[in-house]
Amino acid sequence: MLRDAVLRTKQEYLIRYKDGNLYCELGDIWIDPSKPVKRALITHAHFDHFTFGCEEYLSTIETAILLKERVGDNIKIKTFDYGEEFKINGINISFHPSGHILGSSQIRFIFAEEKWLISGDFKLQKDETCKQYEILKTDYLISECTFGLPIFKWDETNKIANDISKWITNSPEKTSLLFCYSLGKAQRLLNEISKTNFKGNIYSHGSIYKINNCYKELGIDIKDTIKIDTKKKIDEHKGSLILLPPSLSKGSYLKNFKNIQTAFASGWMSIRALRKRSGYDKGFAISDHADWDGILEVVKKSEAKNVFFHHGDSEALSKFLVEKESINVLLFDKEI
Amino acid sequence: MSLKNFSELFLDLDSSNSTNNKIEVLKNYFLSNDPIDNSWAIYLLTGKSNKRFINGRYLKNLFSQIYEYPEWLIDTCYLKVGDSAEVITLLLKNKSTTRKKKLSNISLNELLSKTIPELSKLNEEDKNLQIKNIWETLPEDNHLIFNKILTGTFRVGVSIGLITKSISKLINIDEEIISHRLMGNFEPSIDSYEFLINKNINLQELDSKPFPFLLANTIEDKIFKHSINDFQFEWKYDGIRMQLIKRSGYFSLWTRGQELVNESFPELVEKMSNIKDDFVLDGELLVWNFKEQIAFDFSLLQKRINRKSPTRAIQIKYPIIFIAYDLLEINGKDIREIKLENRRIELEKYFSKWQNKTENNFSDIFKICDLIFPKDWPDALIYKEKSRENNTEGLIIKKKTSIYSSGRKKGIWWKYKVDPMQLDAVLIYAKSGSGRRAGLYTDYSFALWKDKELIKFASAYSGLTNIEIKELDKWIRKNTIEKFGPVRSLKPEMVFEISFEKIQISKRHKSGIAVRFPRITKWRKDKKINDADSLENAYELMKKIS
Repeated sequence: MLRDAVLRTKQEYLIRYKDGNLYCELGDIWIDPSKPVKRALITHAHFDHFTFGCEEYLSTIETAILLKERVGDNIKIKTFDYGEEFKINGINISFHPSGHILGSSQIRFIFAEEKWLISGDFKLQKDETCKQYEILKTDYLISECTFGLPIFKWDETNKIANDISKWITNSPEKTSLLFCYSLGKAQRLLNEISKTNFKGNIYSHGSIYKINNCYKELGIDIKDTIKIDTKKKIDEHKGSLILLPPSLSKGSYLKNFKNIQTAFASGWMSIRALRKRSGYDKGFAISDHADWDGILEVVKKSEAKNVFFHHGDSEALSKFLVEKESINVLLFDKEI
Repeated sequence: MSLKNFSELFLDLDSSNSTNNKIEVLKNYFLSNDPIDNSWAIYLLTGKSNKRFINGRYLKNLFSQIYEYPEWLIDTCYLKVGDSAEVITLLLKNKSTTRKKKLSNISLNELLSKTIPELSKLNEEDKNLQIKNIWETLPEDNHLIFNKILTGTFRVGVSIGLITKSISKLINIDEEIISHRLMGNFEPSIDSYEFLINKNINLQELDSKPFPFLLANTIEDKIFKHSINDFQFEWKYDGIRMQLIKRSGYFSLWTRGQELVNESFPELVEKMSNIKDDFVLDGELLVWNFKEQIAFDFSLLQKRINRKSPTRAIQIKYPIIFIAYDLLEINGKDIREIKLENRRIELEKYFSKWQNKTENNFSDIFKICDLIFPKDWPDALIYKEKSRENNTEGLIIKKKTSIYSSGRKKGIWWKYKVDPMQLDAVLIYAKSGSGRRAGLYTDYSFALWKDKELIKFASAYSGLTNIEIKELDKWIRKNTIEKFGPVRSLKPEMVFEISFEKIQISKRHKSGIAVRFPRITKWRKDKKINDADSLENAYELMKKIS
């Protein structure tokens, strides 16, 4: 893939990889840095995209509110609307919806008539709890590729929601524990499950419950849930659904419940081997990332002449784009 | 009844970790489907069918051809998924172009008795066309089942024991009976299912079927508290466990894997057919060194196992023996409920009766196992340590008062195996696993020193915990020198203790040695690669044993 020997040296790219993070030297801007820096642009409020200790954070309003809900008010965040342009050292920068979770964004850089687009984590599938991915044209695209293989093809969200509903109602004697990320996935699932035939009680863990409230305050319609109270003894959870974060799936927390069945909602669950290895009874393949077709669509519609991938194993995807689509895929040199 | 029900059954079984749940799911399936579909379901779930109509490579190539997919991309996907049938199933999503799903009501029976057998009669071009056609007209939910049956890789976490339990529950008949009915050949048909669930029990019907095998458990400490006189001691042979059956004059030879292998061992069948009595014997088949009266290595037996109708030359080159250690039925009478010590008396009585008839010249092919008589437990230990000298794996200890039940019942038979041999070796290659271990580096190759070079001497897959596997997988990804397809060569840095049962000269391997059953017994994080063993150490080990 490096055979199109890059005409410019790596340092001349507007955005490059430094210490494992995306960095724009011209503006001294880091995107989702994993260590404290002066100025951090945050694409969304998941913890693997955030670190404490930066002097200044820049994000969308929703991302800022969610972050403060999760880590407290002691961070300094400048906020922007989607599409609102601002300038740092002559670079025009703007946030645009990426469809991943509420507040998630792509970030566009324009400098000297050259456009750069960082996709952030994104999906194209419909999700009523956040804004739809906005198709933007660019010269350079830096895209995530978490699910960059053609074996990943998501089912319609309502099909998965119906499967979940069936899974619960087929075992009325059991308590159904559904594990999912507390921010984004949980709210999307709630939104979808409320449209299915399942009409029983839904409980959520405190970490999920508080984000539900946050979503509601931001104007997103989320079904009411009952905050789980582990002091109650537990027969009354029979036949109902309980949403929990994956971190609680191992260890003693499960002892709070009797006669359970467990499931994990994640894109990885589309593979049988991973499903079996996960230790959950059941896996629901639903993801807030783009599948193979989604990544290809974004790459093509962006009309980018140069594409970089990060987050994920991009080897096959890159080779496919170079061979089949004649798109120039560049490699970040991660050693810089 | 449609194939869809079976696909759902498969998913339900696959996504349940609870035995009771699985039994319930199976019971409900049997209740709500036709006998013929039930019969096929049992056939598939018990692994009685592993016929491969086309192989995984063919399936991948075909998909690549039809949908213009690069093969390397399919191969990359395979590394993540670990199963060709599943890769193609995932890639087939949204591929069906035809709207009319004319196969949407196909039954399991139709698929297995008609569609697939007809497929294998077609020439390649028509076959490919027909597979494409099925892919595009079969509802997506059924693709996995279809592809798995096609490639002979249908497996699900259901043991024959679970099927037995669920049928036993369904019709309220003792598990032992169902288990016996399920032994041996099972031809899917309405009759075979009706027979399985028949409430009238009639031993005649069980005809040539072997009894469910009784298996030994690993030795438990509590056994040493009992008097040594409570037990019968035998050598643990490393051969193929078999039941030799003669009923109504008809002779059959069954492996523990429930294969009928009369054709592979015609000399045994011929000699034993002279015996006038009917019987069922439990024992071990071995390739025998008649000069020294010990078993040859298992590798010689492998030359016989898969060979049907062996030539006279093969029979002479690899002479077999059947060593009986139990008599289960004599002249139509099931004696499994008699105590072991009394069954042994019967076995010896009949053996000498048969031996004394001149027409039964079977001494070169059939004997009963010798018993060992240790005087106390320390003495038993000494016998165990000697077992390598006569090419056995240790001792089998049997409770004299036990009856012959089935399966791995506790407290009846124990295996007391000789301690394994061990070497410390350096990890040099890793390969990604398949099936449940897909996408993880779980197949490892290990090397020993020869001067300043590391020479590969064994590959091992098992022995690490899941947590260790994950940790090692991470390390492997960070310490790869080179990738060759699914294989990575690694920085020599990690030392593991490898245990194995046998060591012998091998011209096929660069190291000049081959070991049997290598497995990882310890991750020696405390050792540096210079502490690992050398090939010389391995040769010394070999000398010590022979």
